[in-house]
Amino acid sequence: MRKETREYKFDWMLWTMFDAGAKIKKGFPKEYSHSLNYMPYFRGVIEPMLATGDPGQKFIECCAAYLDNLVHSRDKGFKTAITTFCFSPAILYAMDIVPVCLEILSVMQTLTGKRGTAEHLDYCNEVGYTETSCSSQRGSLGGYLAGNGAEIDMIVTDTPGVCDTNANAFAFAAAYLDKPFFSLDMPPELNGVRSDAYHLGDFRALIAFLEKHTGKKLDIDKLREIMQRIQKQDELVAELEDLARLRPSPMPVTFNFMVHASRFLFAGMPECTVCLESMLAVAKENAAAGRSGLSSGVEKLRSFWCYIDHYTQNLRLWQMLERNNICYQGNILSRSWAANAPHVKEYGTEAAAYELDLSTLDSMILGMALLNSRMPMIKSIRGPYDAKNMWLEDTVNLAKLHGADFIVYNGTPGCRNTWGMVKMFARDTEKAGFPTYIMYADAFDDRVESWEATQERFEEFLTVRGLL
Amino acid sequence: MKEEFREASAVLENKWVKKWKEGGGKVVGYTCSYVPDEIFYAAGILPYRVRGFGAEAMTIGDTYFGPFICSLPKCMLQLAGQGGFDFLDGVIITPGCDSMRRLDECWRKMGDDAGAHMPAFHFHFGVPHKFTDYSVTWFIEETRRLVAEVERHFNVTITNEKLGEAIRVHNKTRLLLERFDAIRSQADPPISGTDALAVILAGTTMPRDDYNSLLGELVGELEQGGERLAGRARLMLVGSASDDVELVRLIEGDRALVVADNLCFGTRFYSNLVNEEGDPVEELAKRSLAHNDCPRMYGEYRDRLNRLINKAGKARVQGVILQNIRFCDLHGSENGLFERDLEKAGIPCMRLEREYGPIVESGRMRMRIDAFLERIV
Repeated sequence: MRKETREYKFDWMLWTMFDAGAKIKKGFPKEYSHSLNYMPYFRGVIEPMLATGDPGQKFIECCAAYLDNLVHSRDKGFKTAITTFCFSPAILYAMDIVPVCLEILSVMQTLTGKRGTAEHLDYCNEVGYTETSCSSQRGSLGGYLAGNGAEIDMIVTDTPGVCDTNANAFAFAAAYLDKPFFSLDMPPELNGVRSDAYHLGDFRALIAFLEKHTGKKLDIDKLREIMQRIQKQDELVAELEDLARLRPSPMPVTFNFMVHASRFLFAGMPECTVCLESMLAVAKENAAAGRSGLSSGVEKLRSFWCYIDHYTQNLRLWQMLERNNICYQGNILSRSWAANAPHVKEYGTEAAAYELDLSTLDSMILGMALLNSRMPMIKSIRGPYDAKNMWLEDTVNLAKLHGADFIVYNGTPGCRNTWGMVKMFARDTEKAGFPTYIMYADAFDDRVESWEATQERFEEFLTVRGLL
Repeated sequence: MKEEFREASAVLENKWVKKWKEGGGKVVGYTCSYVPDEIFYAAGILPYRVRGFGAEAMTIGDTYFGPFICSLPKCMLQLAGQGGFDFLDGVIITPGCDSMRRLDECWRKMGDDAGAHMPAFHFHFGVPHKFTDYSVTWFIEETRRLVAEVERHFNVTITNEKLGEAIRVHNKTRLLLERFDAIRSQADPPISGTDALAVILAGTTMPRDDYNSLLGELVGELEQGGERLAGRARLMLVGSASDDVELVRLIEGDRALVVADNLCFGTRFYSNLVNEEGDPVEELAKRSLAHNDCPRMYGEYRDRLNRLINKAGKARVQGVILQNIRFCDLHGSENGLFERDLEKAGIPCMRLEREYGPIVESGRMRMRIDAFLERIV
């Protein structure tokens, strides 16, 4: 790692950038354009985000608020826990713990930094972590292993049984940094008495762990308040999903990204509600006018991403979709729903969703346990891909629901789990009528395959399959 | 060393399997040491640990698995697709790791495509990643589910008495292998690491009563003495699944001896006894899950480190080879931690990344091992 990189803590650097980004549009237009010159590697993100209007502004503010909590956690009396995107942060907020979400921090760096996360990725390898591990965690884990980030108190994850390379990143960090560690474990089946009992027992153990390491008892009223907000946020997300089914889809391409990122950062917190409400207002307005969310106003194709996005610098994935008039109908990251969502009922997949009952502490804990067990990825890639409620069924249902014209797989070479099944999975989605493209890029590391090559291959797929 | 061990460890359908099948016996394969093979003994079925050695290509493996996957399950699939496991009447896949658990779908889909090579009995056996009261409860139920499915499919009855007998027989193996371990740990031991691995591997591919009998004889002979292997550097082999005696032969050469290991196909296979009192299914489940030697049991690193340090001390090893198959992130990363902490404890380490399958890079590996031996001797 270069000496200069160690000069400032990396999460503090991110905070200053997002904090400035959240204020930049509040001045005069000339001030705005002038200020952009001071953030040459961030303007490619800030400009398209802010171009979406209020939702983009709210989203940048949301990111800035999250980073503010993170870098000032000690001053604000919070503990910190390194965690993962598919772990609902709500229980952490209920215990006054700031979730240090590695994947989100990696995305923030890849989107905004000239060198992306390269130095952190490589630092992990220097201290013994394998280079073949997933870049999503390594991208920011390297900063914490190097002591170049906020103080960390504990490490919690929920991916054993779902994703080895993810779980392993957190176990490695705990051993390397000598921090308390807890992992929620996931049995292969999502539903059933045994799975429910396991999820519940595990979640109770998590609460005991958090209480031990914060020295605080779980505050029932605070938990209820957070869960009420989650219910509200679920309603907003359900409405956005419903609107996305319209033709043309009124959702701008970046909305899906902003929906799931808001939830990963602030599920159950007011900041997330504000973002979702703002997006819903724009989507409703577009829908009322029969307008496509694409900036060209012309929707040619509808894409469904069965795994994750590609977080190369300057939102180039989304720009490419825009250029080709392809709307973005979601990916695995936004697939976590309450059982009362209309589209869940329509497809009869309530069992793969969660119910929140706020009547008693026990019912709330059960609700949180089930919510966590149905987080993106956690719910659908734990068992065989062709089993009930698993990846194939989930994907095909959603692709149909959203009227997708094709499906795209993108991940990282570190994703041992999906690479173990994606070839057969794609064969089955093709059989179900969806042209399916497997990208071999790394969502977090352009060095694996340049964006230019990734884009060329993607567009070639569209051409060869006669989609464009 | 007895030739029987060599054959049982190096031939897929060895003479024991053939004899078993000729007698009308059933054989069920499994992929992970977390499967309690006592269940099959109690059912009168031969449990057989599926392996990947001998695969000479990866064409079938690469057809179903993606490119960034460990070569061990790919080799297993390759062999399966070539009919190498057609003698199996059943197969059990566990989520030992992500690469291995996807052997489930790959084997099934390959079987569908080929219209062959898929055993009639197939079972996905879930194994939790932690040892707690609720995970043990879940795992006991999972083990009961396996018992019930074996009974149903093979039309057998697995009584508690039969399970109790199976546990006693398997515990006898474990006790014999503990004595065998003690022999390996002696100064100038009478057996090489290469032969020791063959002896241990044979236990996973031949009938247990025959194995115990042969093993008892061998241990008795070795305890009486024998030709000593003197003047060699003492090594411990740690890391990814390693069932190829040729890898150990390469490591040992004529200058070293692998006197201890912490491998899934090695000592992890027989460590810890099953409690012979109480409900047998519960005791089997508890023994299997209490195994935290594998890095799949997250958050147990310190225990594993302490165990390695103790083992290294007992066996008086001069160095540890920390190997991992490429894309085996669990062992690969933990090897990084072991290297840091074992070196801190004064135990020299060497990390070695490799591919599973035919050893095509023996020159590189030999050179690195020689350099390591120069450092420690």
